Amino acid sequence: MAISGRFVLLALLGLVPAVLLPGWESAGVVLLLLAAAALLDLGLAVPLRQVSVQRADPGSVPLTGSAESVLTVANAGRRTLHGLVRDAWQPSAGAQNPSQRLLVPAGERRRMTVTLQPSRRGELGAEHVTVRAFGPLGLAARQRTLPCPGSLRVLPPFHARRHLPSKLRQLRELDGKAAVQIRGAGTEFDSLRDYVRGDDVRSIDWRATARRSAVVVRTWRPERDRRVVILLDTSRTAAARIADEPRLDTGIEAALLLAVLAERGGDRVDFLAFDRRLRARAGSAAKGNLLGQLVQAMVPLDAELIELDWSQIPAQIRSVSAHRSLVVLLTALDGGAPEEGLLPMAALLAQQHVVVVASVRDPMLGEMQQERSSASGVFRAAAAERALLEREAVSAQLRQAGVEVVDAEPSLLPPALADAYIRLKAAGRL
Amino acid sequence: MNSAAALRRAVRRHRTWAILGVVFVAALVLTAVLQLQPHGDRTQLSIRNPAPEGARAAAEILGRHGVAVEQRDSFESTIQTLESAKRAGERSTVLLYDPNGYLGRDQLQYLGGAADRLVVITPRLNTLQGVGGGIVQAGVVRDGTEVLAPACVISDPAAAGTVSAANGYLYDGEVVCYAPRDGGGGLYAGSEDGRTVVLGSTEIFSNGALAEQGNAALVLRALGAEQRLVWYLPGIADVPAAKKPVTLDELAAPWTHVLGPWLAFVAVLAIFWRGRRLGPLVFEPLPVVVKAVETAEGRARLYHDARAVDRAADVLRAGTLVRLARTLRLGPDAGAAAIIDAAARHLDRTPESVAGVLDAEPRAEAELVRWAQQLERLEKEVHAR
Repeated sequence: MAISGRFVLLALLGLVPAVLLPGWESAGVVLLLLAAAALLDLGLAVPLRQVSVQRADPGSVPLTGSAESVLTVANAGRRTLHGLVRDAWQPSAGAQNPSQRLLVPAGERRRMTVTLQPSRRGELGAEHVTVRAFGPLGLAARQRTLPCPGSLRVLPPFHARRHLPSKLRQLRELDGKAAVQIRGAGTEFDSLRDYVRGDDVRSIDWRATARRSAVVVRTWRPERDRRVVILLDTSRTAAARIADEPRLDTGIEAALLLAVLAERGGDRVDFLAFDRRLRARAGSAAKGNLLGQLVQAMVPLDAELIELDWSQIPAQIRSVSAHRSLVVLLTALDGGAPEEGLLPMAALLAQQHVVVVASVRDPMLGEMQQERSSASGVFRAAAAERALLEREAVSAQLRQAGVEVVDAEPSLLPPALADAYIRLKAAGRL
Repeated sequence: MNSAAALRRAVRRHRTWAILGVVFVAALVLTAVLQLQPHGDRTQLSIRNPAPEGARAAAEILGRHGVAVEQRDSFESTIQTLESAKRAGERSTVLLYDPNGYLGRDQLQYLGGAADRLVVITPRLNTLQGVGGGIVQAGVVRDGTEVLAPACVISDPAAAGTVSAANGYLYDGEVVCYAPRDGGGGLYAGSEDGRTVVLGSTEIFSNGALAEQGNAALVLRALGAEQRLVWYLPGIADVPAAKKPVTLDELAAPWTHVLGPWLAFVAVLAIFWRGRRLGPLVFEPLPVVVKAVETAEGRARLYHDARAVDRAADVLRAGTLVRLARTLRLGPDAGAAAIIDAAARHLDRTPESVAGVLDAEPRAEAELVRWAQQLERLEKEVHAR
C-alpha cells in the first residue's frame, strides 16, 4: 500500500468544499469521498501476485566501464499495470536509474534497463525487485517486493596495462625480433647466420664456418617455456590501505602485468591467491585467454582477516609446478613478524626456485620521515625511520638468502616487478 | 609508587590548568551558595524588613507598647482581620500604603467603612478619591526643605513637633498640619472626625529616619491610637479583575476551525507519500579499511607520550647512517666509524666534526628537533657533493 502525490494534492483540494461549507459535517463527507477514491483505485490496481519479474545476467564488466541490468516484467493479470519498478542493486553497483515507471498491458511483458556504473571490484549483488502498481486514477498503489537475485562481476581495472607496450618492447629486444641478436641476450641456441661486422667474435661458430666459405655466427635467444608462479597473499596484511588502495588491489595490478608479460615472453604462467586456503587459481594450462581467466579468478578476492599459513606454500607451488620456476610472492615486508614466516620459507623456496618477493612501500612513510620541524614531527620521523629500517633489514636478509626483492610505491610496483622479470630473463636465470 | 610518581608528574605538567580549574570551581560554589540563601523581605515599609527603607522599627515599638500589629498583603485577609477584631469588640487602625494604586474605588470605600481609623501614606489620586474625607493632592515639598513644623492645633502633630519632610507630598483637607511656609496643603492632612489621616512622607515611617526629629512620635501617635493595627500593603492580586477578553478562537471565522486539522491531515498524508520506501534497504558489505601507516603513527605517539628522546635519536641516527652508507657506496657491512670517515673525506671536513653531529646525544625534545635538522642538513650536504 502506498499513495501518490496526486492523492495528497487531492486531499489539499478537499479543503475548498470543507471551507466553503463550514462545519465538521462537510469535512467528514470530503474525507469519506477521499477514502472511497483511494480504495477504488487500490481495488482496480493489478493484483501483484500476477506480476512476475525475470532478470538477465548482466555478466562482467571492468571497474571503469558500465553495464546494463535488464529486467523483464510480465503482467499475467487482466488489467494494465501502471507500475513503478525498483531494481535494488547494492549502492556500490552505482545504479543510475534504479526506479523506473513501466506500463505493461494485460498479458504482455516489458523490458526495463538499468545502467550500472560500479565503483568497486568484486561480485556485486541485487537481492530483490520491488513493484508498485498504481490504479487507473493514479491515487493509491499496491506494493510488493519480489526476490530476484542477480550479480554483476566487476573485474579489476588493470590500470597497469599502460606499461605493457614499453615492457613488451624490452622483451622483444631480448627475443631478437626487433634488435640485434648477440651473445648474452639469451642462453638458448637459436640459429646460424652470416657474420656481420660488429658481431662479437666469440659467437663465431668455427665448425659451421669450416663447412662454408663465409664466416658464420651463432645467435641466441632467451629461454622459453619456463614456468612463472605468481602467489598473491590475501591474508590480513593485504587489507592495509596504502595511498588509498588496498595492498591486495596493488598486488592484483602487479600480478596482471607480470602474467601478461610472461605469457608474451613464451613462459607458462600460474596464479594462486592464498591465505589459509586457496582462494583463486588460474593459469595458462587451461584453455582460453589467460588475461580473461586471471581477471575472472581475481573478481571475488578480498583480504581475509587471518594470518597467512606459510607452511602450506611449498605444497601449493609444487601442485602447480614440479620443476624449477620463477616464484613471485606478492606479500608484505612489514606487518609483524616476517622473520617467522616469510624469511625461512623464502629461503627454503630459493633452494629450488628463483624467488622474487614483491611488496608495496607506503609513500606516507617517506613523507613522515622528512618531518623535522617540531617535536611531534621528529618523533613521527623516528617512527617512520624505524619502520623503513625494519623493511630494509628484512630485504637485506632476503637478498642474502638469494631472493630478489622488489619494494616499490603502489603506482610503481607493477612496472618494477615487470623490470625484475625482464632482468632475470635477460640474465638467463629462469 | 609508580602511579604516585606518574600522578606527581601529571600535576606538575598541568599545574596552571589545575589552579585555574580550582578557582573556577570555587567561584561557582560561592555563587551558588549566595544565590540559594533565603532572601529577607525587601518590600518597602514592610514590618518584616530591617533595611533602612523597611518599617520594622516602628512596628516593634508599637508592639512593645501593647498594640497588636499584623501585616496583611491581600484585601480579603485585611477585611477578615478587621471583622474578627470588630466581633471581639476591639477597635483597629488600618495603615494603607499602596504606591502602585492597586486598590479600586469600591475596595477603598469598603476598607474605610470597616476600619475605625485609616492612615494612608502618600496616596495617588485614585486612592485619595476612594478614601474620601475631602482630602486632595496639593503638590510636593520643595527641594531643600528638610524639616517642617506642625503649625496646627491637632494633638498628634503638635505633640510630635518637627518631622523630616524631604521628598514628601503635600495634601489639602479639612485639617492640615506641617504646611510649608508658602502655603498650599501640608504633609499631614485629615478629616474633621479624625477617622482618615493622610501622611505625605514614607520617610518618617522608615527604619532609617524613624529616630530623627519628631518622626517616631508622629508615627507612634498616629498609629497607636487603637488596640489593633492592621498594616496593609496591597499586592497585585488585589487588582479588581476586569472582564475576560475575547479569545482568538471566538474572533476567527467559522471555516478556520476545519483548516488546522485538515492541513495536519494533509501533512500526514504527505509524510506517508514521501516516507513510504520502495522496497527494503539493500546492504553494502563494506571492506575493512586499515591505513597501513597507522602502525608507524601509533609508534610515533608512543614515543611522544613516553618522551623517548634517546630511542628516537638512535633510530634517526641509524637511518642516517644507512642512507649515508648507500650514498657513499660503502656496502651493507660498513661500520659507523667507516661511514663517518668516508663522509668526512667526501665533505673535506675532519672526521671529528662529522662525528660530533652523528654521535650527539640529545637530552630534551628541543635538542632532539635541532639535532634532527642537523642530521638532515648533513645528509643533504653529502648527497649534493
